[in-house]
Amino acid sequence: MKLSTSSLLNRSLSEKQLSRITRILFGISLILIIALSYSYNEINQELVNYSEKVNQTQQVISGLNRLSSAMYESTHHTNSYVYLHDTIYINKTLAAVYAVPKLAKKIDSLITDDGAQQKRLNSLQIHIEKFRDYTERIARPATLVNPAAVYALYRKRNQEIDSMTKLISEMNKLENQLMYTRVQSRDNYMQQVYRYNWIIMLVAVVLLSSAFILLDRELRRNRFYRIDLENKIENLNRSNSELEQFAYVASHDLQEPLRKIRSFSDRLLNRHRSELSDEAFQMLAKIDSAAQRMQNLIYDLLSFSRIVRTSADSKLINLNTILAEAKSNLSEMIMENKASIHNEPLPSIDGFGSQMVQLFQNLISNSVKYHQENIRPVIRISHRLVEGQVIPGVKPSHQNIQFHQIKFADNGIGFKKEFADKIFIIFKRLHATTEFAGTGIGLAICRRVVSNHNGYIFAESTEGEGSNFYIYLPKESMLT
Amino acid sequence: MNNGSILMADDDADDRFLVQAAFEDNRLVNTIVFFEDGEQLLEYYITENPNIPHLIFLDLNMPKRDGREVLKVIRKSDKWDNVPIIIFSTSNAPDDILASYQLGANCYLVKPSSYEELKDLILSVHKFWLRRL
Repeated sequence: MKLSTSSLLNRSLSEKQLSRITRILFGISLILIIALSYSYNEINQELVNYSEKVNQTQQVISGLNRLSSAMYESTHHTNSYVYLHDTIYINKTLAAVYAVPKLAKKIDSLITDDGAQQKRLNSLQIHIEKFRDYTERIARPATLVNPAAVYALYRKRNQEIDSMTKLISEMNKLENQLMYTRVQSRDNYMQQVYRYNWIIMLVAVVLLSSAFILLDRELRRNRFYRIDLENKIENLNRSNSELEQFAYVASHDLQEPLRKIRSFSDRLLNRHRSELSDEAFQMLAKIDSAAQRMQNLIYDLLSFSRIVRTSADSKLINLNTILAEAKSNLSEMIMENKASIHNEPLPSIDGFGSQMVQLFQNLISNSVKYHQENIRPVIRISHRLVEGQVIPGVKPSHQNIQFHQIKFADNGIGFKKEFADKIFIIFKRLHATTEFAGTGIGLAICRRVVSNHNGYIFAESTEGEGSNFYIYLPKESMLT
Repeated sequence: MNNGSILMADDDADDRFLVQAAFEDNRLVNTIVFFEDGEQLLEYYITENPNIPHLIFLDLNMPKRDGREVLKVIRKSDKWDNVPIIIFSTSNAPDDILASYQLGANCYLVKPSSYEELKDLILSVHKFWLRRL
């Protein structure tokens, strides 16, 4: 047992296995302890039974002894009466004689379950009956006057006494034997039962201590994990604050030289236009546009880093209102492209309103921006409730909860299947900047917003046939 | 014709130059007194008893005393109570903007990223804050 416990400890067990083993160990120990207490109760009853039987045998033996002494007492009184002719002994004789059958009856009630003894007792009772009859007849005053009759009755009575004595001694012997075996088997039983109980107790103790060792180990491991987790949280907080510092540096210190490059090249272009050759003018224009692009990238990086940390508290927000706000922010773009947006009623969720507006806005503006030439962009937004397990790559803890699925379907240019994941990477673009403007931050922000809400976002598309974006947001808020 | 006096505190010499240039290129005639940090501006504010300026451009991030401190000091007393203060900073962080208005700034302008924009901005500022004088 101990060996197997130590080998269990040496192996590294999964949390699930460990909890199952601990439970089994505790369960078995509990069952053993219950069995043990039940068994003690049984043992007690059995011991009482054994004692009762021994006691009964003892009573039978003492009953037989009393019977025999009553028999001899009556013989003694009869003799006294016959020799001394004193009538006082008649009553004494009769009293002793009548006691004998009563004692036999008492023994009878004690040996009802023993057939052989019962048989002997039956024949004893017949002899007793005869003994009583002869003694009564001797005790009659009329008999005493006839010595021949007394002699004959005496002989007959003595014969009965002999038979009775023989039977009594046989029965006595048997009862003594019985008593011996009963005492013996009681002792055997006790010994066996105690050994057996000791083994059960030992097993229960070993199981309980194994369970305790496992639990103790688990607790220690938990402590280790907790410390590890605390360290990780500390690291995370540190890198978060570093990121914030970076955001500040990006917003101020990195922008500063770029602003200067742009401002001075701008001024150079304006003030010294006449002194510049065409080539120099082109080069300056390129410097300016590169600097401007870099400014946009920094600006977008900054808006992305701002979304990483959500300092505001979450609120119950109606996604229909959010959609309306996103549409109104994009109204100019929607009008220009003659886009139409159809939506099913959307649910309310617990979340960050401005982030959700940005999410909807980015998805809609993408759909409008990447529309097919000569086809009016149409966006259909639908909603349904789904179980967590249908979401691809869902976290195990999210499998059994319900999610709002919000689907944005458009009729745009779409993209190749293999880009379905890549488009969510920051600054990842599928088209040249000359084709479509932008830095490629939009969908990275979308994914960030969705993961801030403990949700998931996926895209699917067939090139030239439009794309579908699926957002999954938990029905019950998990924001703290 | 002088269209009013302007104070500007900015640690960046290029920015000081560009603002001056923008005024000149817009053919605006203003006296602009430049300070290299907040402390210089506060010394001017406290020791001398100058004519009340018509407008102050204040950078937020400066060595020694920054724009926030300057703003706090000026808005605490009623000496320059009616002087409009424009925060002129590179930062477009919402926290900076909110804090500046709470400290009593009248306007928050993010430094434009091109000279053309700066020129337009200066013209517009002049139109709104200075031409009515």
